Amino acid sequence: MNMFSSCMITALVILTLPIIMSSTKLYKNKLYPYYVKTATSYAFMISMIPTMMFIYSGQETIISNWHWMTIQTMKLSMSFKLDYFSMIFVPVALFVTWSIMEFSMWYMHSDPYINRFFKYLLLFLITMMVLVTANNMFQLFIGWEGVGIMSFLLIGWWYGRTDANTAALQAVLYNRIGDVGFIMTMAWFLLNLNTWDLQQIFITTNDNFNLPLLGLLLAATGKSAQFGLHPWLPSAMEGPTPVSALLHSSTMVVAGVFLLIRFHPLMEHNQTIQTLTLCLGAITTLFTAICALTQNDIKKIVAFSTSSQLGLMMVTIGINQPYLAFLHICTHAFFKAMLFMCSGSVIHSLNDEQDIRKMGGLFKVLPFTTTSLIIGSLALTGMPFLTGFYSKDLIIESANTSNTNAWALLITLVATSLTAAYSTRIMFFALLGQPRFSPMIPINENNPLLINSIKRLLIGSVFAGYIISHSITPTTIPQMTMPHYLKMTALAVTTLGFILALELNLTTQGLKFNYPSNYFKFSSLLGYYPTIMHRLTPKTSLTISQKSASMLLDSIWLENILPKSISYFQMKSSTLISNQKGLIKLYFLSFMLTMILSLLILNYHG
Amino acid sequence: MLKIIIPTIMLIPLTWMSKPNMIWINTTTYGLLISLISLFYLNQPNDNTLNSSLMFFSDSLSAPLLALTTWLLPLMLMASQHHLSKEPLTRKKLYISMLILLQLFLIMTFTASELIFFYILFEATLIPTLIIITRWGNQTERLNAGLYFLFYTLMGSLPLLVALLYIHNFMGSLNFLMIQYWIQPLPNSWSNIFLWLACMMAFMVKMPLYGLHLWLPKAHVEAPIAGSMVLAAVLLKLGGYGMMRITTLLNPLTNFMAYPFMMLSLWGMIMTSSICLRQTDLKSLIAYSSVSHMALVIVAVLIQTPWSYMGATALMIAHGLTSSMLFCLANSNYERIHSRTMVLARGLQTLLPLMAAWWLLASLTNLALPPTINLIGELFVVMSSFSWSNTTIILMGINIIITALYSLYMLITTQRGKYSHHIKNIKPSFTRENALMTLHLLPLLLLSLNPKIILGPIY
Repeated sequence: MNMFSSCMITALVILTLPIIMSSTKLYKNKLYPYYVKTATSYAFMISMIPTMMFIYSGQETIISNWHWMTIQTMKLSMSFKLDYFSMIFVPVALFVTWSIMEFSMWYMHSDPYINRFFKYLLLFLITMMVLVTANNMFQLFIGWEGVGIMSFLLIGWWYGRTDANTAALQAVLYNRIGDVGFIMTMAWFLLNLNTWDLQQIFITTNDNFNLPLLGLLLAATGKSAQFGLHPWLPSAMEGPTPVSALLHSSTMVVAGVFLLIRFHPLMEHNQTIQTLTLCLGAITTLFTAICALTQNDIKKIVAFSTSSQLGLMMVTIGINQPYLAFLHICTHAFFKAMLFMCSGSVIHSLNDEQDIRKMGGLFKVLPFTTTSLIIGSLALTGMPFLTGFYSKDLIIESANTSNTNAWALLITLVATSLTAAYSTRIMFFALLGQPRFSPMIPINENNPLLINSIKRLLIGSVFAGYIISHSITPTTIPQMTMPHYLKMTALAVTTLGFILALELNLTTQGLKFNYPSNYFKFSSLLGYYPTIMHRLTPKTSLTISQKSASMLLDSIWLENILPKSISYFQMKSSTLISNQKGLIKLYFLSFMLTMILSLLILNYHG
Repeated sequence: MLKIIIPTIMLIPLTWMSKPNMIWINTTTYGLLISLISLFYLNQPNDNTLNSSLMFFSDSLSAPLLALTTWLLPLMLMASQHHLSKEPLTRKKLYISMLILLQLFLIMTFTASELIFFYILFEATLIPTLIIITRWGNQTERLNAGLYFLFYTLMGSLPLLVALLYIHNFMGSLNFLMIQYWIQPLPNSWSNIFLWLACMMAFMVKMPLYGLHLWLPKAHVEAPIAGSMVLAAVLLKLGGYGMMRITTLLNPLTNFMAYPFMMLSLWGMIMTSSICLRQTDLKSLIAYSSVSHMALVIVAVLIQTPWSYMGATALMIAHGLTSSMLFCLANSNYERIHSRTMVLARGLQTLLPLMAAWWLLASLTNLALPPTINLIGELFVVMSSFSWSNTTIILMGINIIITALYSLYMLITTQRGKYSHHIKNIKPSFTRENALMTLHLLPLLLLSLNPKIILGPIY
């Protein structure tokens, strides 16, 4: 027994302590958020020990304890897999959550239920940890569903708002569609391999893994908001900004990509699924980047850029480089969470104003936020030697040198260029130029909670990529040699995006706003996807369930055929057969007639 | 088995002799004590059965249902206190006696070892239920609902009597324990097909199968709270229990006779859950959700594999507790708003925060969140239907999505949003109600720790 597993378990147990304490008086205390934050930071520090050990010696562990049940030949027990992926991801997630919790102590300080908010955040973090460290599919499913439900609760945090509730329901719905794929995969594995344990799945061979992998792809599509199931991610911005920073940038939404990375041993020999993943990722990254171009809500832009980056990760899995995709997950967590926090700082300072057209000139009043926002955006675009560079550049390079689907790779390049374009747009409108907000708002960013949390992620956004990519040797070897122009492509398209966007913004600023073109409408209406899918489908299905299921089948056919018709025919036949019809008047009349007649006859007879 | 049956009978004198202010507390405590006794049957030391006498036995299929039945009586008593608060004392006592009588019949039904005995008790449960629905229901429609309830179930189960007499005639016995050793495969003939139908229809109506389900929403909506609870939690499970017992007699006919009923259930589960999406009536929504969940049980029983039987048993117990809890929650709304219409009870989270937590947990268990036993049940059913035919996953998937959708729709409509002005001065939630919800949730959560005991005879 070495410190490896015991430290990891200690870190996980520390996270559960504030949840357990929530049934005591501590939960009523004003300091509860502080305790939660501290617990998270301790968990981060303790989890660094096994991670260091892993980096040093490369040992991987599987802990299997508490036996849950054995069903026939299948054993289900609680089991943690502490391998490359979980060992790197856990500290990253804990670090990011630590900062976000500190940030939300500032952002949510006026909320009367801030303690509950922190409990939810922590519950979410625990389910995420369960998801990441799970060694069998059932445990993975617990975490998988857990993050989904916690996202429902956190998006709908301001439950008085209809929009928030709709967005929460939307998130669950899209996630559930993905879950069907997950359940199908579980069923397939159970049926064909008779196990849910990951390593047992990987050592068993089967000719055709198409069906379960399709299920996994569907699950990842739902969770990671890939094209087709993407609209929930921008809608989820209805939730509080810390929630967007934690769930919808760095942890929950990457769970889908993480799942595919986990099951990569099955995927690496399956060309069909890889091509599908590649195309799906490419479409997502381009489509969402296009949508991001014309949005005016600062959080929506960042959300679409998250979606676009998730597409990029899918592309990376599609070109058979799961380790690179994983590296991008880790680096992306830092700067994307920071971008959300910066936008949260801006929104909070401007009195809940999210429209970038009403900002401007913030570099004077919010210097620190401005700095971080610019560094975050540069890291996002893959500026050399910032965090994003170490993963994004490698991804583009290996995409350029791989011999798969050319148009998918071309699309990815275009999307990379667009990343720079919309990042420029945020910086240009929100930070530079003249202020367009109300001068009456007192703006102050000098709160240690805000500054420290952003600062920590800022350092992460500058150095984390270097540290991670240098301490971990990538297990798949990236392409080493390539021509100059391929090496420079990523940088060139990004620079192109920057320059073009800047020039366009500068030239069009003074122009009169014309009637929008169709291309503009396509982008600003999110490709007409919500208009079609969120109107037509629910309307049709709800009408069908009302008209056919409820009215036609239940109320008309089933009710009429059995009970109503039986009673009707019984009544009709009984009235038909019976000669007693209850016609009292007639009976009395005939009675009277008989009486009168008999009287008359009897009288005259005598 | 007498150690449960006799205490249950003794509950009746306890009710009638208690002081007026003690009738609820006495019966509830006593009922809880009885339910503790029933827990011993969950421990099945040898894999077969615990034979108590010539007439009663329990095995790992009936023991969880037995425990559920005895557990539910104190909960029903707790739930209906407010509903009866304005009634005179004699009627209160009569009501409690009816519930006790129902529990007595149910216990004996689940533990009967003889099919005719089972049949008689199965029918006997109708009487107290009918009285509870038609006497203590809230509206005039309760009479109509009672009519539907009685006629559907009776029409379904009368052929079973004929079939049982016939089987007794050629087998010589109807004892569950002996029949399984004597059973011969039935030859494939028209008369045997009718025999199959006669045997199964009684339970299919009770479950209820889609198409024969109309009595259920009506009965659920009109019944008083205890009636709804026991209907959803236990009476529907009689159907599943009976089907699982009687299919052993009907091999190998089930293999091909199952197809139309599988189709009907798979289709019906989607239809009923989509009806849930358009419900305005809270109790009716929960009732339709029961139909949809029970369709899963029918599918599982008809597939007849060990996994599907495990799933069916787990789902029955899980659904029993969950739907009963949902009815209790709906009732606590009804007692405050005096209407079952959902839009009239919006935004309750602001006013009753603890109740909102119960709503949340109940909805989450209803949509089968892992690792609750609802998920275990549903997952096993999905697994077995997937192995039966791969394409069923599409229907099952649609059902999973719609189930999540209507559960959360119900949650959002009643709890979230802004509250309307007419509910500003409602009563706060009582300790009694909170205790009631806790007692529903505790078994659900604790069973997730060790689901083995509710997985039925073949795990």
